[in-house]
Amino acid sequence: MPDITEMFSAPLTFNWTLSYRCNFVCEHCYSRDEECEELPTADLKRIVDVLAEKQVPFINFGGGEPLIRDDLFELAAYATQKGLNVSMNSNGWLLDRAAAERLGAAGFKSVGISIDSIDPLLHDDFRNMPGAWPRAVAALDHLQAVGVRSTMSAVISRINHHAFRDLLDLARAHGVGQVYLHNFKCSGRGFKNRQELDLSPEEWRAFYVEALAVKAQTTDLKISFDDPVIASLPGYEEQGLVKGSSCGKLSLHLRPNGDITPCGFIPLVVGNILKDDFDAIWFDSPVLKAMRAKEATGKCAGCSAFADCLGGCTARAFATTGDFNQPDPHCWK
Amino acid sequence: MPNPRRNPEIIWRIERRRRDEVLRALEAGEDVGDSGTVLLIEKGTMHQLNLVGGMIWERCDGTRDPAQIAAELAVEFAVERGELQADVDEFVKDLTARGWLLDA
Repeated sequence: MPDITEMFSAPLTFNWTLSYRCNFVCEHCYSRDEECEELPTADLKRIVDVLAEKQVPFINFGGGEPLIRDDLFELAAYATQKGLNVSMNSNGWLLDRAAAERLGAAGFKSVGISIDSIDPLLHDDFRNMPGAWPRAVAALDHLQAVGVRSTMSAVISRINHHAFRDLLDLARAHGVGQVYLHNFKCSGRGFKNRQELDLSPEEWRAFYVEALAVKAQTTDLKISFDDPVIASLPGYEEQGLVKGSSCGKLSLHLRPNGDITPCGFIPLVVGNILKDDFDAIWFDSPVLKAMRAKEATGKCAGCSAFADCLGGCTARAFATTGDFNQPDPHCWK
Repeated sequence: MPNPRRNPEIIWRIERRRRDEVLRALEAGEDVGDSGTVLLIEKGTMHQLNLVGGMIWERCDGTRDPAQIAAELAVEFAVERGELQADVDEFVKDLTARGWLLDA
């Protein structure tokens, strides 16, 4: 496969953290302990101008809770008017009917709501917020009522890895078209709580074998995973746009102050979008280059799956060893 | 033939740096038929168009018919329009069948 920058003059997606502030304190959160200067609206619009000029087609607002910032709607409308496709992920707490209408008016292509269990008490306990579950489910209904496409996200962990089918049924019941079953990242609070929440490599393998079988039989709902370690499963044939982690290849992450990192889970700043030349970052950053050309290390060396998985999730390897090239700790091989 | 226009559901962009490289290669006499210069994303799947395909795609904005597109490309490549018309017609027909182009 050629160098990614021979094919792409910019990433396809910017995952954009407008603020690390959040009204929840989730057990797995990568960013809850982060602190960072936030930019005024005018500077956020300047960032949109850069992204539009570089023809980045997708922005996904995350966080922190994106709805914490009052100017989210204004910023999204500005980006939409510039031709970008805008989406976001939210815990749903602040997403009432009025907010849903404003999201629709701002041009959001889709809005994702995080729901980790069909058991309200379990979800609320995981999210450390009593009453979170009914408001998250209501948010899905508000989005459906105003005609904004909704998605549902669940971070797979010890609390839900046997119950993902129930989450799919919940999504169906509330008009959701796509469910993301996210892999657990050991960053931030996720690192601190990983002994309690993370699965063993063998449990991850069992989960993916089961979930992929369900996906193959499901036609009424799109089920998505974003875990490159799946590629090492025998018979796995789905072809992504790139092999291995997409971070630094198809996507980059923006911190609240405009700093760019390869992804939200890798705290290495490769430049600032308002202060540095973007092309120099994209084409020449040593960090991005290293992520795009991983070397098989440790048990990856000689492994027949490396050509497909490229060592699995780079963020997880970096979080646990400080080295991109080390094997993904979730790898079962 | 009606004026073709791009399906607005398809995300696309010109890969400028790549296109500049392909243009340089073309001037050097190299075969660039398999070199993508325009990226399309359709329902999560990525496709690439080569130089000529990308230039036709750019012009499919609903304001031009295939004859006008061929005439513009003939100027770009300094050839007779007739040499390009069949390629433009086939491209438009193929992409219309895929649903990537719509009739204006």
